[in-house]
Amino acid sequence: MEIDPTAVSLRPFRISDADDFLSFAGDDRVTRFLRWKTLASREEALATIRDVCIPHPWRRAVCVGDRCVGFVSIWPGSGNDRCRADIGYCVAREWWGKGVATRAVRMALSQVFGDFPDVLRIQAFVGVDNKASQRVLEKAGFTRDGLLRKYAYLKGNLQDLYLYSFLSTDVVPAD
Amino acid sequence: MEEQKQQTAHTSGGAGAISLRPMQLSDVDDFMVWANDPDIARFCTWEPYTSRDDALAYIAGTILPHPYYRAICLDGRPVGSLSVTRNEAASDACRGELGYVLGSGYWGRGITTEAVKMAAAEVFGGARPELERVEAVVDVENEASQRVLEKAGFRREGVMRKYFVLKGRTRDAVMFSRLSTDDDS
Repeated sequence: MEIDPTAVSLRPFRISDADDFLSFAGDDRVTRFLRWKTLASREEALATIRDVCIPHPWRRAVCVGDRCVGFVSIWPGSGNDRCRADIGYCVAREWWGKGVATRAVRMALSQVFGDFPDVLRIQAFVGVDNKASQRVLEKAGFTRDGLLRKYAYLKGNLQDLYLYSFLSTDVVPAD
Repeated sequence: MEEQKQQTAHTSGGAGAISLRPMQLSDVDDFMVWANDPDIARFCTWEPYTSRDDALAYIAGTILPHPYYRAICLDGRPVGSLSVTRNEAASDACRGELGYVLGSGYWGRGITTEAVKMAAAEVFGGARPELERVEAVVDVENEASQRVLEKAGFRREGVMRKYFVLKGRTRDAVMFSRLSTDDDS
């Protein structure tokens, strides 16, 4: 059942998000398709928020009400790659299937081109088996550029990845 | 039948013997011929090398320590170069990006295609044992370069819109790849 979209918000991370952060970043089902190592303690959660989330060029806590239930990150390129940025995201298991990630990605798209004026292209790399994430991107209006064979390792396994993109001139489909 | 025999003696287009070898500082004058060619620089992100000292510094600082950088030689003389990058992140170590350049006086004879085929065989044959994938990113307007890759057995994977900036303009690019497991069927 889809969540009321207005219940989802994005905001910067806070140290006080540590317990919420641990509850999803410590869940193998959530980190399965991420390059992260699953967090194992509150100390690791605090350190990650302090050392990675807060200084990050663009990482937002995905919140339902005031509870942090996921993240979305944008990494812009530099030099000749400054026109593109990579997007990554995850959502806590108990919030899957409700449109939270799609809502969070749509909100990120509405902000990020203003925050990074050089960026004209947002791209996402998605495992060929990660159907749920492919649906998130498609519902948010991304185009599938192609299949990149044996592109990268994920937790020791060589992956075929789909590359998706969304341009500053593309339109987010109506809800 | 005789024509086929001539083609397999790796003298593509009757141009002479093509070979790959590591670059040396003493290649600097040959390097400057292609590094100064505006027809080539059009699709390249670098500016022409007008100074011999800059060229020497580039050979010493970037080319000699490179994980895979080769001179493309015609009858033993360097007429171009190619390279396959190495990525820093462990998760990206399986792939390297191929780039190549050939002096414009030698275009249209199949030299680059042959050189790319030889490089893929070397790279996957032991020069870069960690690589599973060699990829190439080509400007959508650079049709000659796309043909090189197609003829060299690379697969076209898709078009990436507004992928990079070239001399101040945003460009669409085509992604090509060849895997260590691909064969030439």
